[in-house]
Amino acid sequence: MPPPDGAARGGAEAGVVERVPDVATLTAALDAVDYLADPGLATALLMAVRLPQPLLLEGEPGTGKTEVAKALARVLDTPLVRLQCYEGIDAAEALYEWNHARQLLAIRLAEADERHLEESALFGRDYLLRRPLLTALEHPGPRPAVLLIDEIDRADDDFEAFTLELLAEGTVTIPELGTIRPTHPPIVVLTSNRTRDLHDALRRRCLFHWIDYPAAERTAAIVRRRVPSSAEPLAVGAAAAVARLRGLDLEKAPGIAEAIDWVAALSLLGVERLEPAAAEATLGSVLKNRDDLEQVRARGTEWLVGTGA
Amino acid sequence: MTSSRCAPAARSGSWAPVPELLVEPAALAVGLSTALRRAGVAVPPERSARLAAALRLVPPTSREPLYWTARVALASGPADLPVFDAVFSALFDGMLDPAETRGDPNAPPAIGSEPRARPARPEARLVDGSPPGGPSSTSSGDGPPGDGPEREAVLAVASDLERLATTSFADLPAEDVEAVRRLVRRIVLATPARRTRRTTASSRPGERLDLRRTLRAAQRSGGDPVRLVHRRRRVRPRRLVLLCDVSGSMEAYTRIYLSLLQGAVSGARAEGFVFSTRLTRLTHQLSVRDPDSALALAAKAAPDWAGGTRLAGSLRRFLDDHGRRGLARGAVVVVLSDGWAQEEPELVAEQMARLRRLAHRIVWVNPRKAAPGFAPLVGGMAAALPYCDAFVSGHSLAALEEVAAAVAAPLSRVPSPVRSPALVPPPPVSPTSLPPRKRNP
Repeated sequence: MPPPDGAARGGAEAGVVERVPDVATLTAALDAVDYLADPGLATALLMAVRLPQPLLLEGEPGTGKTEVAKALARVLDTPLVRLQCYEGIDAAEALYEWNHARQLLAIRLAEADERHLEESALFGRDYLLRRPLLTALEHPGPRPAVLLIDEIDRADDDFEAFTLELLAEGTVTIPELGTIRPTHPPIVVLTSNRTRDLHDALRRRCLFHWIDYPAAERTAAIVRRRVPSSAEPLAVGAAAAVARLRGLDLEKAPGIAEAIDWVAALSLLGVERLEPAAAEATLGSVLKNRDDLEQVRARGTEWLVGTGA
Repeated sequence: MTSSRCAPAARSGSWAPVPELLVEPAALAVGLSTALRRAGVAVPPERSARLAAALRLVPPTSREPLYWTARVALASGPADLPVFDAVFSALFDGMLDPAETRGDPNAPPAIGSEPRARPARPEARLVDGSPPGGPSSTSSGDGPPGDGPEREAVLAVASDLERLATTSFADLPAEDVEAVRRLVRRIVLATPARRTRRTTASSRPGERLDLRRTLRAAQRSGGDPVRLVHRRRRVRPRRLVLLCDVSGSMEAYTRIYLSLLQGAVSGARAEGFVFSTRLTRLTHQLSVRDPDSALALAAKAAPDWAGGTRLAGSLRRFLDDHGRRGLARGAVVVVLSDGWAQEEPELVAEQMARLRRLAHRIVWVNPRKAAPGFAPLVGGMAAALPYCDAFVSGHSLAALEEVAAAVAAPLSRVPSPVRSPALVPPPPVSPTSLPPRKRNP
């Protein structure tokens, strides 16, 4: 358990190295938890775990960025701590907050008992409300937690700056308690949908990987994994249809998540092969926009399922 | 970056035997980083060091592992990827087994190829950054207009240049252009505020109690929370997006409008785009503090200066690549164009409808509006007008004041001009006095 030195990261802990020795093992392990990673993503994850270094994942919505972190946590058999970012998120919601009500109560109790209460007692760990970042840092082990900072682009840029200490040094500083150095620095995965440009300072501290939409065969394989009850021809047909949809100019092109939803809906209806009527009835689980629906209906569902000219 | 560092990793566990490396990882990492830097990608030294460490983890036995390791370690954003691919290919293809995949199937589409170097954000912000009123100020514009204090746009015009103020930019003698540009740059485009999730302390009863501050205040009164501190939502100015037509028909005006863009981008953190046949994002280029170098950078970045106009196509590019990702959402969008498009008006209307659904407010600036007898009959303009909240001329310094007012104004919409275009021409109505528009569902 070497104390992590922010400047020189000395590589991953033995327990992690054992589980993730190389790219091939990691790919197989991800496969075992039903996440099919291509070589690029597997390499990126290996580097994130083993260097260790925060990994910034970017890509279109619905390409499985969030799933990556979940799968990684399963592979390492550690908890996943997720911080969903949103506009206006601040330290109190991300890191910690003092439990003021409890502090107030302690003051009152001390007064009633006519005890003297030290201020340092009032700002101790007992009175700390742990939010995701602190939870991940204080994870007791044996292996580091996976910290997912989801959709960092939704947070304001000042919050982005706030995460820099965590990303660069693997530590956080609480004024009353000092700098918290984790015994097991978390493996950090950040995702972004590119709704705005992230600051260079953040990018500089991260490994970067762009997740692209996978080819139809891979989509089918992923769908089959996620919806085990689905028939093979259905998954293949739906993957091809989704690829066709992505070729159109849609307001919101369907991603993997939509393909999975769609196949789940179709197999719920007992459909075993993609056909126009069933596709038409369930189109709402792939296309979430009225203009898109109209555009596809205008082309006809025969075109969508691939039986048309 | 010593090679001894790799030893523990190589020894541990069930590692496959590390094949003999052709090159020392550090040398390879430095070489690749240098080549990338030469191609214009900013590669800080820590990224090279990271690659060297990663190459010991993932031995570069063939092209693919080397490609992915290097890409994950060295690239910092999607914009770097095309350059990375080109540099990597130039360096290694031919050297390594050429039978392996050449094109990367996972390479992302080239999204914006802005250069990485980003100048420091100027600290200058909006002049009018103070939040209006109490918690009753309108949040998303659904409230009745005018219940917050009117936000006046600040327009700084030197008084000794009054003559310049009313001269149309098109008639501006060359020697005055510089002076006008300087003035235009100082026009502050202040957008209306929106409420954020962030809170700020307030002594007045607000939405919720700030326990943290109340407790701190209570320490001063012996632990009794005598003074309650509240917090309320902070307000922030809305995002401002400027789309400037730089086609041939607008040439007389673009020389000035570009300064308006530059002032807004560097001062008010606006987003600036130009378009004629294609759309170019100039925010990076224009945020350079020095106006002359900013304009020079901008001119270099947009290759289609003074070309034809593809209004609908450019709007569509904007919406597809930027707008719907969040850039236009809730923003004030200013389009500076004469609306002379080569496309079908329906296409323009279609894209304007999309923009309408995203933007908080659309302000259309058409310098030709000031011409006597002007009617917005040009195909593109007539099609776009129903979707605009304000339609102003902005042909002179004085007229740009209207633009600033339209940007700052609470919601309002031009009376449907499609039915009777003749109504629209020169009514010197301030955009604020127009009747409230109907919100789109």
